[in-house]
Amino acid sequence: MAKRKIQIEVNGEGVTLEVEPDDLLVDVLRRDLKLTGTKVGCREGECGACSVILNGKVVPSCLIPVMKADGGRVTTIEGLGKNGDLHPIQKAFVEKGAVQCGFCTPGMILSAKNLLDEKPNPTIEEIKIAISGVLCRCTGYQKIIQAIQSASEIMRGKEG
Amino acid sequence: MEKGIQKFYWSKKLYWERYFQPQTIDEALAILEEFQGRAQIIAGGTDLLPQLRKRELELKALVDITRIPGLDEIRLEEGLIRIGALVTHTQIAKSSLIREKATALSEGASQVGSPQIRNLGTVVGNIVSGQPGADTAIPLLSLGAVVKVVGRGGERKIPLTEFFIDTGKTVIHSNQEMVTEISFPALKEEEASASLRLARRKALALPVLTTSVVISADLKKKIFNFARIAIGPVAPIPFRAKEAEKFLTSAPIKEEVIKEAAQRAVQESTPRSSLLRGSEEYRKTMVGVFVERGIRKALDRLEARHG
Repeated sequence: MAKRKIQIEVNGEGVTLEVEPDDLLVDVLRRDLKLTGTKVGCREGECGACSVILNGKVVPSCLIPVMKADGGRVTTIEGLGKNGDLHPIQKAFVEKGAVQCGFCTPGMILSAKNLLDEKPNPTIEEIKIAISGVLCRCTGYQKIIQAIQSASEIMRGKEG
Repeated sequence: MEKGIQKFYWSKKLYWERYFQPQTIDEALAILEEFQGRAQIIAGGTDLLPQLRKRELELKALVDITRIPGLDEIRLEEGLIRIGALVTHTQIAKSSLIREKATALSEGASQVGSPQIRNLGTVVGNIVSGQPGADTAIPLLSLGAVVKVVGRGGERKIPLTEFFIDTGKTVIHSNQEMVTEISFPALKEEEASASLRLARRKALALPVLTTSVVISADLKKKIFNFARIAIGPVAPIPFRAKEAEKFLTSAPIKEEVIKEAAQRAVQESTPRSSLLRGSEEYRKTMVGVFVERGIRKALDRLEARHG
């Protein structure tokens, strides 16, 4: 099979990659770019563990042929912190105890980021809908919702 | 260990040889023709990729239409709402035009899968997949939608009522032709709609039942002009409850009329007992409940607008 050359901006940095035409975005991120923060769960778009932000929208990277991302912008969990500091959403997750086994955490945090980018001051119902595409089997979701509320407050405070 | 894992379909690698990203519809159709059935259109891919992984389908090439310009628009032209093949569920759910002039579709699209799936999946893809419980197919049926298909032989328009053949099967051959647009009349002043869904949980659960109702009524004379009622998945394909619709035509707006219409819809549905979706009896009962609620909700909306 002929390899294809593609360009993707991953976490703010342009990368050129040689990929198979049937590679999926999640596998290229993990295998080629070693960005293993993006998890593989169900491989059919049900669990949300593989969520990344592609061109401003949170999507399941297990359902995306990597060719679709050619020329696009991808943000993974590794791209959130700046200069060794955690992103406010990440900090809130730690402080509120929203991380247990951690497998859903990258997908949860990217879902939360996608929400807060669009709606800086969401209602609890909006938070619930925003994280409804990511399954968590440990936390019972309450701490995650609290962490997102707390991050929203902190992020708005900083802007004001 | 490797052997054990192989039992699960998700561990199998997805496979295709070529991935095309044509810039025009003609180019896409030419590639399909060249591969003679071994290539298929992919838009969002949220239904297609799991199908490929489960080996329900094997393809040599995928033809990604998401780079064809002009197909990602929602337009209102001369009373007709036109939705291009690349419009996602998120786009529909956020559109104020759809919320006002096709409320049932707005509700249906908001309930597909999860935010992740809605960001990727398209309304047209949802129809083409031909699942009897498709969240946007039911509202589109009640809105009287028409599907535009383009193939090498030219263009044809198919009413959605003639579109579905069987579970997972429609009149479209995705290895020869593609749907470019779905359109339907915007709701008029005297019309209102509602879509209701019953599922085990609010996200990522297949619906046990989806009903969508469009009514046209004269509130002064207190009569229904007509109604369109679509229901799924209580038969192999989403369907219109024609007997219930007939009963409501020119009928007075009264509780017993609404109840009787709902009972006629129950008689028209043919659900089977299913571990996933409940017993036949339960599902039939729920059809009655949901059709009744759907009619009332649409009526409430109409009254609120004219009140």
